Amino acid sequence: MDLTTTSSPSTPRWNVERPFLTGRFHQETKAMSRFAEAKGFSVESFSGAGLDKAIGCFDAAVQELIVIDDLLSAMVGIEGRYISIKRVRGKEDHVIFLVDPSMDLALQELAKKIFPLCESFLMINQFVESRSQFKNGLVNHAFAAALRALLLDYQAMVAQLEHQFQLGRLSIQGLWFYCQPMMASMQALSTVIQKASANNFAGSAVLNLLQSQAKAMAGDSAVRSLLEKMAQCASNAYLGILERWVYEGVIDDPYGEFFIAENKSLQKESLTQDYDAKYWRQRYSLKDGIPSFLANIAGTILTTGKYLNVMRECGHTVQVPVSENSKLMSFGSNHHYLECIKAAYDFASSELLNLIKEKYDLIGKLRSIKHYLLLDQGDFLVHFMDIARDELTKKLDDISVEKLQSLLDLALRTTAAAADPCHEDLTCCVERSSLLKRLGTLKDPEVIRTVAEGNDLEEPMNITGLETFSLSYKVQWPLSIVISRKALRKYQLIFRFLFRCKHVDRQLCGAWQVHQGVRALNMRGTAISRSSLLCRSMLKFINSLLHYLTFEVLEPNWHIMHNRLQTAKSIDEVVQHHDFFLDKCLRECLLLLPELLKKVERLKSLCLQYAAATQWLISSSIDIPKLDELSDGSVGNSKSPSRAVKLTSRNAAVTDSILKFEREFNAELQSLGPILSSSSQAEPYLTHLAQWILGVGKDQ
Amino acid sequence: MPREIITLQVGQCGNQIGMEFWKQLCLEHGISKDGILEDFATQGGDRKDVFFYQADDQHYIPRALLIDLEPRVINGIQNSEYRNLYNHENIFVSDHGGGAGNNWASGYHQGKGVEEDIMDMIDREADGSDSLEGFVLCHSIAGGTGSGMGSYLLETLNDRYSKKLVQTYSVFPNQMETSDVVVQPYNSLLTLKRLTLNADCVVVLDNTALNRIAVERLHLSNPTFAQTNSLVSTVMSASTTTLRYPGYMNNDLVGLLASLIPTPRCHFLMTGYTPLTVERQANVIRKTTVLDVMRRLLQTKNIMVSSYARTKEASQAKYISILNIIQGEVDPTQVHESLQRIRERKLVNFIEWGPASIQVALSRKSPYVQTAHRVSGLMLASHTSIRHLFSKCLSQYEKLRKKQAFLDNYRKFPMFADNDLSEFDESRDIIESLVDEYKACESPDYIKWGMEDPDQVLTGEGNASGTVDPKLAV
Repeated sequence: MDLTTTSSPSTPRWNVERPFLTGRFHQETKAMSRFAEAKGFSVESFSGAGLDKAIGCFDAAVQELIVIDDLLSAMVGIEGRYISIKRVRGKEDHVIFLVDPSMDLALQELAKKIFPLCESFLMINQFVESRSQFKNGLVNHAFAAALRALLLDYQAMVAQLEHQFQLGRLSIQGLWFYCQPMMASMQALSTVIQKASANNFAGSAVLNLLQSQAKAMAGDSAVRSLLEKMAQCASNAYLGILERWVYEGVIDDPYGEFFIAENKSLQKESLTQDYDAKYWRQRYSLKDGIPSFLANIAGTILTTGKYLNVMRECGHTVQVPVSENSKLMSFGSNHHYLECIKAAYDFASSELLNLIKEKYDLIGKLRSIKHYLLLDQGDFLVHFMDIARDELTKKLDDISVEKLQSLLDLALRTTAAAADPCHEDLTCCVERSSLLKRLGTLKDPEVIRTVAEGNDLEEPMNITGLETFSLSYKVQWPLSIVISRKALRKYQLIFRFLFRCKHVDRQLCGAWQVHQGVRALNMRGTAISRSSLLCRSMLKFINSLLHYLTFEVLEPNWHIMHNRLQTAKSIDEVVQHHDFFLDKCLRECLLLLPELLKKVERLKSLCLQYAAATQWLISSSIDIPKLDELSDGSVGNSKSPSRAVKLTSRNAAVTDSILKFEREFNAELQSLGPILSSSSQAEPYLTHLAQWILGVGKDQ
Repeated sequence: MPREIITLQVGQCGNQIGMEFWKQLCLEHGISKDGILEDFATQGGDRKDVFFYQADDQHYIPRALLIDLEPRVINGIQNSEYRNLYNHENIFVSDHGGGAGNNWASGYHQGKGVEEDIMDMIDREADGSDSLEGFVLCHSIAGGTGSGMGSYLLETLNDRYSKKLVQTYSVFPNQMETSDVVVQPYNSLLTLKRLTLNADCVVVLDNTALNRIAVERLHLSNPTFAQTNSLVSTVMSASTTTLRYPGYMNNDLVGLLASLIPTPRCHFLMTGYTPLTVERQANVIRKTTVLDVMRRLLQTKNIMVSSYARTKEASQAKYISILNIIQGEVDPTQVHESLQRIRERKLVNFIEWGPASIQVALSRKSPYVQTAHRVSGLMLASHTSIRHLFSKCLSQYEKLRKKQAFLDNYRKFPMFADNDLSEFDESRDIIESLVDEYKACESPDYIKWGMEDPDQVLTGEGNASGTVDPKLAV
């Protein structure tokens, strides 16, 4: 773990400079002294101690007393008269014990048996001193504190042994005997410490180490329980951090030990602009070094705190209700902490879900978006297209968005949308490019791949508001978690597709009305009757397409999503369902099938051309009889056959162009069939579309 | 308040069904008998402004004109509990109050006489709306006022408001019982001409079928006018639900009609409704799923137009278009399945010369009207068998005409003065060509109908093109 990033107060300099305070006062051995000591415990090495005699001069019984005295000192890290402690140069945390070689051999052997204990003590003591510094983090502090307590016990034991010694009741064998219970534990601890300090562990690594070590020592119950106790003490601090996170959503982690990182640079406001919803996904993230006992539940812990944070950002101070046994303590075999975390998670997610569903009325907002962007309540659009017709047919650069907005507001106020308080969140915007082009820039790897072919389309120069008009919707925090920028963009794509279809539909309805205007004429067999049938085919096509889009795609999928949202347990589930809905709609609305989309657009533009030409076609086929009648003066009674002849001859051009439209339209429509049936292998919903617009399956 | 629709109710029958219609609309929108919004009607999301406007004092007032040549029915309305609903300026009763005597010519002639008064009223209503979408005319085609004056109004509207749509709800007489109006075939024929030429859409309400439905489906042994009229008002209100409760599609009249009407003259629609109930009648609750409703709508016994076709002809009859308006709590995923099932079972016989399929509009149900069933459905369909209804009218006319019976009543009026009965002949030709066109629709090569043989075009032209009114031809 990188400790350099977090600044921590440093301990005073004397803490490092004065070795007797930190237990680092032992002298280093000279480079070669290791060999020297083996030969003889030279007098000069003890010269400073003011001793004049080698221990070999004494009687064995006296030697024993001296050795015991020295050993008792060595056990608490102090050099004795005949036992010296040296640090090895270059090897930190490693000491060697030297015994006067003239000592009785039996005593020497016994003393050497006790040295590991002394060494362990020194190591532990040193570890405690060094790890108590601020920079090592809370876990290390806690671990060091636990060790210190242990050392106190140990020192108490040494003191008792010394007392026994003073009373003359302690032999060296007795000392050896009494040291036994401590030996293994201290040994194990020193191994752990060695590993910890060698790798400079901190935070969760220490916890992991302790736990794995405890597991490794499963055979030795005493050591195991000691290590488990150590692990528990050490993790107390860590659990404190965890507790604040899962209960309050606060990261209280001055030394960067916690496994959740907060990226403060991501602001919640960014959700309404940021395409990738980074805030939601990356504001809080998991780091490396998750303690192994939390590894399985880390994701849950992350979301719990994240939810709590969302609620805090919403101005709700929410705290998970803390009861007696919800304190996170033991992580032993009973898995109590897992239940606590689970409970906190359940609380946080249900609380946030309630907040978003009830207070911020998510479903209502989605429904409102459905009214406007999916045209579930399309009457406002009819009116809007009426009043904004002139503005929309302008060139892209001449369109005034402000004017469109005011017209949109007018349309919303005067239609059924007026009853919906959310309608004020609807804004209009004019994109720079047409739908096909727009699809190419969708920042979705999957989408980019599929519409790559669509990119080579040349942007038509005379693009108008009808191609580029779009609606937008103001989404406020926290609903922007669900209705993110990306989601809104998908809604917009669907809207623009529907909008174009509606436009075509309206134009064709206009053409239909033109035909209605001439029904007083007998049109049997004329171009007009042919034209009215073509108009019907086109209307049928666009209506079927709209039917497919709305009743086969949008409505059922929305229905399914709506049901799923009712049973969703967490906000992440909600986001997931919502995204799934949008993706499914986008795909089933053909927006991800550029080949098909191009065909459909081609058909639509044919319809538009035809609708635009209708007025001319019809009027040029009937103005002759009108003139005739006027010149005749016999209104309503001109039965001259000559008029009919003129009508048909003049009609030749008209008939030709109508037949041309008919041919093109039918050819285009028929060519859709093979594409639909071939793609329907992979995309079964296309069969539905084929049934709608081609009537396939009807005569099977 | 965009896309408004003005309702004209003409004659005895027109006013009766019109009143039922407004009763139903008031119920569905939570508007009280006085035109005040009820306290419980707070749900919103509906469009009252299509059919109502709000007076200064928040009263909802129907965009309706009540027109009759005799005062009886309108007096009845004015004495009913709905008297405060209507705008009294919009009520027209002729001064003499003598009616039209079941004479089309009289109604037509009187219509001409009061044109100015009535057009003033219509203009006032039209000026009061933001973007008028069109007119709805309620009338019967058999009597005098509804048929004659209604015909005159149709012509005038077509002339004055040529860009607006005109839809009619036309009640066809009961053919099963001998009518007290002996000249009914004359009246029907003359009205049918105007319905063909001057209306954009005619919803045919056949009294014969309505009676049959009342007897067979509702088990009323002797259905009253009120009961059949409530069937009519159900159909009328249901056919306007997509305008009043906006949904994905068909939110304006033109969109609704354009998808249903194939060619300018074939604009006669049949209706079917299920499940049917009459007020205060304890109805058996049936299971109503989307499939059930759609299937029932296709059954001839539920269709409100009698088919006089013989079996062989009936099997030739084809649907040109169908729109099913489904109201209520519908699981939208059922719609596709139901359509699929209907397609598989081949329950619908569609025309072969063009694409056709059942269109569906899902619409909300009024939250203020409690019904025992979850789903209800209305079918609006263009079906070629309607030609048999016109053939029947024609044959009845021929019978009467052959006898030269009762023509004197008509000769009294300018249109038929000097024994000029060409109006009858013209009307007959137009109806005949209408029947022919529907018949041609049954054949697979309707598109080429009359196209191959230019001579035939000429002769065909020679007969009927004389009816062109230059003012309409734009």
